[in-house]
Amino acid sequence: MSNVDRLRKSFRTALDLSSDYDVDSLEYRGIEKWDSLAHMALVATLEDEFGVMIDTDEVIDMSSFTKACEILTKQGVDFGE
Amino acid sequence: MALVHPSARLVDAGSGAVLSGDALTAAIAMRVEALAQLQSGVVFARFPNDVESVLRYLAGWQALRPMALIDPGLPAATLADLVERFEPALVTGVIGSPPPGYRVVDDALLGPLWERIARPAHEPHPALGVLLATSGSTGNPKFVRLSREAITANATAIAEALHIAPEELAPTNLSLFYSYGMSVLNSHLTAGAGVLVQSHSLLERPFWEDLARYEATSLAAVPYQYEMLRRLRFDPAKYPRLRTLTQAGGRLRTELVTDFHARMQTVDGRMFVMYGQTEAGPRMTTLPSARLPEKLGSVGPAIPGGRLSVKLEDGSETSQPGITGEVIYRGPNVMMGYAERAADLSLGDEQGGALVTGDLGWLDEDGYLFISGRLKRFGKVFGVRLNLDDVEKLLRDRGPVAAVSGDDKIVIWAEDAEDDVRREMASELAEKLNLHWSGFDVRNIDSLPLLASGKVDYRALEKAI
Repeated sequence: MSNVDRLRKSFRTALDLSSDYDVDSLEYRGIEKWDSLAHMALVATLEDEFGVMIDTDEVIDMSSFTKACEILTKQGVDFGE
Repeated sequence: MALVHPSARLVDAGSGAVLSGDALTAAIAMRVEALAQLQSGVVFARFPNDVESVLRYLAGWQALRPMALIDPGLPAATLADLVERFEPALVTGVIGSPPPGYRVVDDALLGPLWERIARPAHEPHPALGVLLATSGSTGNPKFVRLSREAITANATAIAEALHIAPEELAPTNLSLFYSYGMSVLNSHLTAGAGVLVQSHSLLERPFWEDLARYEATSLAAVPYQYEMLRRLRFDPAKYPRLRTLTQAGGRLRTELVTDFHARMQTVDGRMFVMYGQTEAGPRMTTLPSARLPEKLGSVGPAIPGGRLSVKLEDGSETSQPGITGEVIYRGPNVMMGYAERAADLSLGDEQGGALVTGDLGWLDEDGYLFISGRLKRFGKVFGVRLNLDDVEKLLRDRGPVAAVSGDDKIVIWAEDAEDDVRREMASELAEKLNLHWSGFDVRNIDSLPLLASGKVDYRALEKAI
């Protein structure tokens, strides 16, 4: 599975979304399911999935799917772009 | 029975405006006058975390109006049901069209509100101060009736147990309609301290900016928020004035209690573990920070004015150390009783100052309480207590299910439930109980384990979590 698909899958798992849900344009609090509690689950899922440590500022700044991509890229995850 | 000490202050995190002294007194008094022009009786106060809502609450208190503190996130249909069942004189902080029997009043000071056209049939009991929602059977909220005396007694006792000093400033990171959030507000105002009124969650940058900018001195949090603080690598050294943490709203795992106590120790700060129930307005015990290491696992002794004992199976009660039984609390902060309908608001005290908690526990030789389990089928999700039998009832149409209590969540075992069905069940519970979906962990099981009696073997299910 490509890294971007792993990221999508992590979002769907953490935010409790169906397996075909389009997550690429998601924003924090943009849908009911992505609230503060789900956000913690998302951070934990991403740390496990990609073997990274997400720091305080990054937890707070991870306000969209795109942002998550950027933060993980900075951590050395290659999304092929 | 003033709730607001002359030196108390409200700080609006949004604007930076500070209301204190004569200005605060005047702001409350003007609203008291406005209330006097409106239908007399109980006020339903929708209570988002903002200064206007706090002022309406304080004015209602001063005007001797019993007030129900209402979750602003409550679905319109649930609010309508509550209004129909309890016939409040006023509903404040509302938007939208009024239910039958009410008219909209747009008051210059109180904001838009619904006023009951006919005088309510039931006079509220004169001792009644605050009504807080708790889940009743089938998910319909009922109210805990707290007397004015219970509210002030608890606020004073908390201020004493936590040594709240006038220079302190507590942020409102908990909802103010929630008993723990309300008690932070009441105890600080009673102690002549400050409250930083704000509505951001711990995961939003403005929360942390405001904490630093206004030099907040304490943080009150429930177990899932401690999980967030851990995740955020909360470091009190970054906030030189923040020296007190309090924890309530369910059991916090020992590892985190030790962890946060250690973090606070490094900066000469304090960590208080507490125990309460909405029915006690809500605080019953507080563990003094200095004794936390030697009393690890305890929720502390009764707050000033309170008394603890345990009830044994034969119905006898004891305060002897080391004996496990159902925890009984006695004190001036115990509720008058519940209210399920308008007529109940006229009722007097039905409790006699005693609360049978439904929790199992034991006292040590110093009177420190250790909670060891639950007698009744209750679970706690995000600090909110739920009756597990009611949770099952809500899913009655879904085939055989069994609900047990997990760590700050409720685990529901459902026979032959596919992924989608399980997700639907969690969403349905979340919606009906107005709680977050992730608090309901619905799991599949081939068949529920049964005891010889044919009843569900809950113990086996608890072990399987």
